Amino acid sequence: MQKILYLIRKEFLQVLRDKAMLRIIFIVPIIQLILLGYAVTTDIKRIPVVFCNLDESAMSRELISEIKHSGYFLINYYEKDPQKIRDYLDTGKAKIAIIIPIDFSGDLQRNLHPDIQILVDGEDSNTSLVALGYVSNIIQAFSKEQFRDKLLGNPQQARRIHLIEPLIRVWYNPNLLAKNYMVPGIVVMLLTIITTILTAMGIVREKEIGTLEQLMVSPIKPYQLMVGKTVPFAALGLLEIAVAIIVAKLWYNIPILGNLGILTLFAIIFMFTTLGLGIFISTVAKTQQQAIFMAWFILVFGIIMSGFLFPIENMPKFLQYLSYANPVRYFITVVRELFLKGSGITYLWKEGLIMLIFGVTIITLSAMRFQKRIK
Amino acid sequence: MNSRLFAIIRKEFIHIFRDPRFLTITIVMPLLMIFILGYAVKLDINKIPLVVIDHNRTADSRAFVNKFINSGYFIIQSRMDNTGKIHDLFKKRNAKAALIIPTDYSENLKTQLSTKVQLIIDGSNSNTASIIMNYVNMITASYSQEINLHYIQFPLNIEPRVWYNPDMESVNFVIPGLVAIILMMICALLTSITIAREKETGTMEQILVSPVNPIEIILGKVIPYVILGFIDGALIVFIGWFWFHVPIHGNIFLLAFLSVFYLYSALSLGVFISTLANSQLIAMMTALVITLLPSLLLSGFLFPISSMPLVLRAISHIVPAKYFLVIIRGIIMKGIGISYFWQQILFLFGLGTLLLILSRSGFKTKLE
Repeated sequence: MQKILYLIRKEFLQVLRDKAMLRIIFIVPIIQLILLGYAVTTDIKRIPVVFCNLDESAMSRELISEIKHSGYFLINYYEKDPQKIRDYLDTGKAKIAIIIPIDFSGDLQRNLHPDIQILVDGEDSNTSLVALGYVSNIIQAFSKEQFRDKLLGNPQQARRIHLIEPLIRVWYNPNLLAKNYMVPGIVVMLLTIITTILTAMGIVREKEIGTLEQLMVSPIKPYQLMVGKTVPFAALGLLEIAVAIIVAKLWYNIPILGNLGILTLFAIIFMFTTLGLGIFISTVAKTQQQAIFMAWFILVFGIIMSGFLFPIENMPKFLQYLSYANPVRYFITVVRELFLKGSGITYLWKEGLIMLIFGVTIITLSAMRFQKRIK
Repeated sequence: MNSRLFAIIRKEFIHIFRDPRFLTITIVMPLLMIFILGYAVKLDINKIPLVVIDHNRTADSRAFVNKFINSGYFIIQSRMDNTGKIHDLFKKRNAKAALIIPTDYSENLKTQLSTKVQLIIDGSNSNTASIIMNYVNMITASYSQEINLHYIQFPLNIEPRVWYNPDMESVNFVIPGLVAIILMMICALLTSITIAREKETGTMEQILVSPVNPIEIILGKVIPYVILGFIDGALIVFIGWFWFHVPIHGNIFLLAFLSVFYLYSALSLGVFISTLANSQLIAMMTALVITLLPSLLLSGFLFPISSMPLVLRAISHIVPAKYFLVIIRGIIMKGIGISYFWQQILFLFGLGTLLLILSRSGFKTKLE
């Protein structure tokens, strides 16, 4: 036990003495969190739109101003010539074109159901889909307004008409902010990357400079060496997640409804996996550079298949099954549910159990490999 | 061709083919990325699990629920009698939306102008939630119109048309984007590492004292990566077209020609980084921070730049990948010609030249 404590102390001293290391551990993640939180967004705002108003009546101008003031379309162009609309979309100057036909208000008055044409640049299908939804909703609301006004003048007909209107309420994230979903995910990414890479590099560095051999000939047993090597990084990982949570709370105002104790527990369980992965990489890689390459390679796929950016339920079946073998998937679910829904252990124990099984398996296998290598 | 230059190029190729890690990064990684991203990046949603709480229980309410199912966007996860358990279902992640039909639904439908139904959406994933919202609005609006068909039509029609990507396939968007990322990775990251390696192992000095001049060194180091970059880019475009059926609307030779400008700026960036870094590790870290991350995040590769705050939008203007994305998506998806790309070409060429001038002065001091 004494020996392990010495090792842990040594490891801490080594980390704390290295200024560059400290920067990598604390400052870089905070910068990343702040940058990523803004950059990784699926919010759709400021969509550039071009209006082609061939009608120029009070009514068409009213419709245009409704769209402009919705807050989603901040960049507006006006074009008189419908032939030139294509140019706006080709160059990407506008993503949406709204064409109001000649004599729109007259046709509306005469009940001729004028067509409003919306042209959408489908390049980025997600943005286009959401933007098209915004425009259609605004026009539909406008349409209903007109419709109501007309009905008020004709009570006879009004009695025969029955409309269904959805009252939509959004739970857990009522303003639909992407950051509330993304920032908890980034917290998980940071923890995963930092603990894996630090553990791998910590061991490989000793290999590279030859001090690992010195440790091996000392009376320290391999398991003690491993505990001594991993516990400091686990502690740093917890500290890291604490800092990340503080940034999430204070900088981004992300609601944290769940119990932080449970979060800590899950983080510890999850770190079995990342520390184990780090040890595994260290047994394969001979140099720090190889270690970084390997860690990077594994982590990229771990992150893509975790649901961090791309919802797993939209993936084809075989990728969904593949993602079950990815421990990051479970931790990211747990953290998001804890943050946004405040789910307790009753809803999350399955994920916890699976993570525990993964963690114990990975760390045991890596430890065995590590011991064999040392002997 | 200059035989000294040729010798350096040959030497560099031998380096690349001898080191399995380099081959992994240049060939295996891009291939894996294209297949995983090609399948994984699907932001369009269907089969949303829905809970139905029908307090009305009449033929009318059932007809309305059927409208949701027949849309293809929703599947019924369960039916319940009261609203008390919605939180439970959302927390178990068994359902993403709940439809609540009030007791007086069918009566209101016959007597009132407007009948309200309630919809609760799990908003934790804001993107999914806003798409669900759009679906709900669409379905109810079209149903309203359907049941009133004898009396009314809505006063105006919306006629949406999607250009360039009418089936709204995200693959068509992602795969051209991937070309930009992979090219940047290979050119900037690998060039900077390989030059830094020569410095680290001390072989750079040996080359410098040899009769080769600095321009030949840089060219010799860079040309193999240009070739690799071209092969990779062609491979991705080909797999995208052949396997994922990404239609190519524009001129592929124009794309190849314009890629040269992007490669030029990416390689200059790599050379520039290598003059700053003395070790491979530092070169790699620097390259990650100043090339790969911005190319992934601030280029419009996946996330719309227009939604970002002002500072990030400003930074995005100096990210080369942003300009190349306009070019490659413009050619592949929109089929537009060179006259649309002057700005992009000028920027890429300007940035590349600027970086080369900066790194040349850095190189010279090392010579003495």
